[in-house]
Amino acid sequence: MVHQHGAGQPGALALIVAGVALCAEVAYGWAAARLRRRGDRWPPLRDLWCAAGSAVVVAGALFPFPGGPFTAHMAQHLATGMVAPLLLVLGRPLTLALRSLPPGGRRRLLAVLRSRPLSGLTNPLVAAALDAGGLWLLYRTPLFALAHERPWLGCLVHAHVLVAGVLFSAVVCSLDPLPRHGMAVRSAGLVGAGAAHSVLSRTLYAAAPPGTGFAAGDLSAAAELMYYGGDLVEIALAVVVGLQWYAASGRRLARENRRGATDRRPPASAPYRQ
Amino acid sequence: MVTPSRAPSPSRTTPGPVRGRPLRARSVWSGVLIGVGIAAFVDETVFHQLLHWHHFYDRSTPGVGLVSDGLFHAFGWFAVVIGLFMVADLRHRAGLVGRALAGGVLTGTGAFQLYDGTVQHKLMGLHQIRYHVDLTPYDLTWNILAVVFLGVGVVLLRSARSSKSLSAPGR
Repeated sequence: MVHQHGAGQPGALALIVAGVALCAEVAYGWAAARLRRRGDRWPPLRDLWCAAGSAVVVAGALFPFPGGPFTAHMAQHLATGMVAPLLLVLGRPLTLALRSLPPGGRRRLLAVLRSRPLSGLTNPLVAAALDAGGLWLLYRTPLFALAHERPWLGCLVHAHVLVAGVLFSAVVCSLDPLPRHGMAVRSAGLVGAGAAHSVLSRTLYAAAPPGTGFAAGDLSAAAELMYYGGDLVEIALAVVVGLQWYAASGRRLARENRRGATDRRPPASAPYRQ
Repeated sequence: MVTPSRAPSPSRTTPGPVRGRPLRARSVWSGVLIGVGIAAFVDETVFHQLLHWHHFYDRSTPGVGLVSDGLFHAFGWFAVVIGLFMVADLRHRAGLVGRALAGGVLTGTGAFQLYDGTVQHKLMGLHQIRYHVDLTPYDLTWNILAVVFLGVGVVLLRSARSSKSLSAPGR
């Protein structure tokens, strides 16, 4: 009696999500191509990251994942809320937009990026609370059962998971020119959200979201998937943070050496992160 | 006892470059991070989840235990990754003190293991190593190993400090 609606065949809203993701990907590719024609450097790896991220969003919206209903839902949640955001953020879409927009558009985008509400949202601790807090709300209140009954609410939840995930990944990775925060705060946000995620997945192992009745095997499989999947993405995020720290420290070292040495080497070319 | 004067070795052309100064304190801290991460990994992943000695979630565990475990778990992975990057950076700066690193790893592992074995297992009673068996051999093994790690780590740290005391501002 696994007559699952919402998670099963794609509804109109899922098609819209997939369409938006595809359009964004096309726009990204077009902007990157324009930048290269202009003679700017834009590493192809970034195109690859962004394309992979969009593909995961489309797959999450359109295709049902295997496994029991809750396990399939959890796979979808992992793909849309954690894997896709990280991939998209690695593509540095905002950097690309700022470089390829005409001056007027660039000014407007910068004004948005520097606006007060966004500077609040991009605080790592706020982003972590929004991301992990949304999950607690979803699985520990009747929201999950409600979203299962009403497709539009389910789609809204899906969109929130994606947006909050992108915000969180963007803030922790800090690759795009968002308001800057120190390594320590970003690390605290990452560890805090990781802890909230792992605690939530463990409680799910023991108790289903209120108002739902999933089979015990389905529930435990979903909880384990959430736990280990969350670990993998957390490690990937930590690697991004660590790489940045390593690169920054290397630049500092190069500066110190330049200052100390008297040879007339030209300054090292611009580091990869401008 | 001829302390090798390593400081100005890499390039003797100009007085400046900072490369090659032994960065002892940082070596220790990167080791501690890696060590805590390893201990958290062994406890969480091997015992909890692979061997199923104590379970993914012990229903009897109070909420505090769950949250503290989750925090340690998240911190464990993060600590290993950042610790490894710190080692890479120390090597880049040619300032890695191997003995201090090893001492830090062992001290971190031992300290966390001892904390887990005494405070979390016994004082707070969050979970035990196993259930339905005589706990004594397990507890003794876990805690004695922890003390051994801690002891060897401290010895290594002390020898790392005394062996290269020429460049005093290590900390």
